[in-house]
Amino acid sequence: MSDHPIDPGPAGPTGPPPLPSRWRRRPGERMVMTPLMSSVGAMIAFAAVVFIVVLLPVQTFNPKASKDWVPLSDAALAGRQVFLSNGCVYCHSGFSRPQDVRAGLYYLYPKVSLPGDYFGTDQTPNLLGTERTGPDLTNEGGFHPDDWQFAHFYNPRYVDPFSLMPSFRFLSDHEVNDLSAFVQERSGKVGLLRYAGTLYAKHVDLAAQAYKPAPTGFQGANRTTEQADEQGKTADVIGGNILPQPDVVNLNEADRSYWLANDPLPVTVANLLRGKEIFRERCVACHGSLGDGKGPAAKFMSPPPADFTDKDDQCCGADTSPGDFYYRVLRGFPGTAMENFGTRLSVDDIWRVVMFAKTIPNGTLKSGRVPTPQDYIQWTPQDDLKAYVKAHPIDEMAPFVERPAPTDPFLVEAERMFPGMAPSDSILVPNIGRIDLTSIAAGIRRIYFNLLNKAWSDAKARGESLPPESQKNVLPEPIETGS
Amino acid sequence: MTLAIEFVSPDAFSGYSFLEFGRIRPMHVNGVILAWLTMMYFGALFYMLPRLVGTPGMWSERLGVWTAVAWNLMFVGGIVALATGHNQGKEYGELIWPLDIAVLVIWCANIFNILMTVTIRTIRPLYVTVWWFIASPMWLAADYAIGNVVWNPGDIWGSRSGMLGGSLQDGMLNWWYAHNLFGLWLTPMLIALTYYIVPRITNTPLYSYSLSLVSFWGMAFFYTGVGDHHLLQTPTPAWLKTIATLSSISLMIPVFAFTINILGTMKGNWEKFFTNLPLRFTMTAFVFYFLVNVQGAFQAVQPFNKMTHFTNFVVAHAHLALLGGFTILGMGVIDYCVAQIYRRPLWSRTLSEWQYWLVTIGFTGFFSALTMAGFIQGQSWAAGVPEVNVLPLLHPWFIARAVFGAMIVLSGIVQMVNIYLTVRGDTASRLARGVERVAGRPLVAGGASTEPS
Repeated sequence: MSDHPIDPGPAGPTGPPPLPSRWRRRPGERMVMTPLMSSVGAMIAFAAVVFIVVLLPVQTFNPKASKDWVPLSDAALAGRQVFLSNGCVYCHSGFSRPQDVRAGLYYLYPKVSLPGDYFGTDQTPNLLGTERTGPDLTNEGGFHPDDWQFAHFYNPRYVDPFSLMPSFRFLSDHEVNDLSAFVQERSGKVGLLRYAGTLYAKHVDLAAQAYKPAPTGFQGANRTTEQADEQGKTADVIGGNILPQPDVVNLNEADRSYWLANDPLPVTVANLLRGKEIFRERCVACHGSLGDGKGPAAKFMSPPPADFTDKDDQCCGADTSPGDFYYRVLRGFPGTAMENFGTRLSVDDIWRVVMFAKTIPNGTLKSGRVPTPQDYIQWTPQDDLKAYVKAHPIDEMAPFVERPAPTDPFLVEAERMFPGMAPSDSILVPNIGRIDLTSIAAGIRRIYFNLLNKAWSDAKARGESLPPESQKNVLPEPIETGS
Repeated sequence: MTLAIEFVSPDAFSGYSFLEFGRIRPMHVNGVILAWLTMMYFGALFYMLPRLVGTPGMWSERLGVWTAVAWNLMFVGGIVALATGHNQGKEYGELIWPLDIAVLVIWCANIFNILMTVTIRTIRPLYVTVWWFIASPMWLAADYAIGNVVWNPGDIWGSRSGMLGGSLQDGMLNWWYAHNLFGLWLTPMLIALTYYIVPRITNTPLYSYSLSLVSFWGMAFFYTGVGDHHLLQTPTPAWLKTIATLSSISLMIPVFAFTINILGTMKGNWEKFFTNLPLRFTMTAFVFYFLVNVQGAFQAVQPFNKMTHFTNFVVAHAHLALLGGFTILGMGVIDYCVAQIYRRPLWSRTLSEWQYWLVTIGFTGFFSALTMAGFIQGQSWAAGVPEVNVLPLLHPWFIARAVFGAMIVLSGIVQMVNIYLTVRGDTASRLARGVERVAGRPLVAGGASTEPS
């Protein structure tokens, strides 16, 4: 480029250089770039900035473990590798922001991530992520039971038809167990507490209805669908009134104000059609395209999904109160794979889908069949339920609500799992015995500390740097989830 | 040198391919950055540097060819590793440790080659492009080595490798490194190539030397510190976020300096924008590059970031730089260099026009679709709608993105055909015959070059 405008010219003769004959209007023309300047000089500039933005923060920023922090167990750490090597972080970020907590209704984002939540060497490489095609998973631990996770990893459309997540059925059973352990354990103590609560509720649900535990990994894919009827029906005698035992568990796991609630919307074709649309969109993967509880995902689940075709079924069929159905859709069924749809469906839409569910025994799920108000099965409480409610009045919840909020996080979790149970209540569960809120809290506490101690001893055996032992015994802070 | 260029084919932009997304995505990212853009840049560098410093070729042509071959072998290894789930688990730093070392060795060989070429130069003053050719690869080598923590290999075949002890430290380093892949390598090379192509094709001296100094040192100081703007809402130190935001805004200074410089050079030469295709590619890329920087500066400001972070808006922004800026420039550079190296016009001007319009329209649509998707996501999340519920709303935009993405891929295929036929056939006499048919008389000898001389 000999025609370049800048030509420093030949080196001058010895002696002082001649003064410029006129003022140089562009001082930049004196700044000649040499190879030294553009290599060494550029690297010095680079190094200066690197010192400020890399070396300084990395060396000075070293937050202590937060109260909520827990280490990962060996299985969860192995699951973290599966998470990394399959690129899950490209769609699932790993920190929740203040505005997420404000925006997240119900359970989605109960807490903001703190620096101390990322303590420890088992948390690298980082999983902060930059995109949320799927939800953030910082607070996922304990929101879905393991059998939901397995069905979801096998085919995400089984449990969420709108999901864009790829199927991970190529993973081995071992890998998917680890992955599930990681998802359950990654949310700190609060997550472990939720997970422990779910495990306890599942324990009760299985015992009350005499179901076998759900398979782990992808073994469920080859299983036959379990029949959703109450196996081993036993009865609980409370206050001289007899109600089938599974129903008692069901009632105690639902908020009392919904026990006798009826559908507030008028039964019209429009409402029923909208309900059918939602049902076919969201529910058929588990509950089956005929509503018989035999969807493709049902094979992974125990207790199995509800069968809506049975007119006489006290627990799940057409004789259960619409309020009970509503509460199940809104908040999920503790311990089962029924998750809360309160985050994704509007209140009216939930009532509509509940209304539609009450027509399913009349074959309204067949394609092309328009549900009519004549198909709707009007619900009236049966005598034994009325007697039970009389013995456990709904008003009884008033002092329950007004008393000071319990500070024991395990009791809070017990109340979250059994929102219909008053402090004075107790129920009899086969193979478990009589349980009340205190014993439920103790059970959850036992599961929680088993999980926590396992993670600590695994981390210690791996030689990770751990905070002082006292951190372990700080209890998780109860989180107000609202209702 | 030809080898380096011929190996390059514009990478497929996979669009709506969510099948095994988690593994395809690092292949796509690494493919675009390391296989496509880096190979294109080195090809262009090997072509331009000797011409700028007045040497018959690079210091060692053989070394250049070997590094190109080795680079491609390295990348084949990288694709296999990523496809089988072997990665470091760090966004943009997925290649496993042995491949990191291979990258650095090849890269240092190239730096050595460049520095030796500059040493044996016959033109004493260094043109702007040469500054970048010297500084940028050195920056990237340092960035790559620090960012991948190569002194801490860990589990060299798997995920726990090349990381710092703490998660947030690792995150800060990760994003500092990732953004500097663009800031210290891809962007400076775009500037360098534009500084070469625009004055060369328009046959006009560069508008201002001072402005090019501002753009060089501004980039060096401001771009190095922007990485933390990916973490504006993470629990990381606030002072670092402030530096990142300020750096991102300050980047406007070198960007405007560069913009004014190029526009000043183009003054009076705009008719060539319509007649000369490589110039048109370059200037289109230049416009997209300018836009991406202005957009980026706003995106790095907290209130704006709150709405756009995690959404497809960011994906659109990344594609504006890598596809709109660097890739479109790369297409022009390949068209230019191949015609120059073989001393013959491209096989078909029509195909080149198709290539241009396919990629320009395709990219504009692609960008708009993703931006709209990003707005929908941001607004919906702010209103409390969970992520999964937003996905059905994005569906039409994802379809649009796939259609426009197909146009971009098609554009790449058109160029491949055109370049292949140019290299294989005698296009000079073909053009002469064409002119003869239209004009009724033979073309004057030597007028076949696409470049006005």
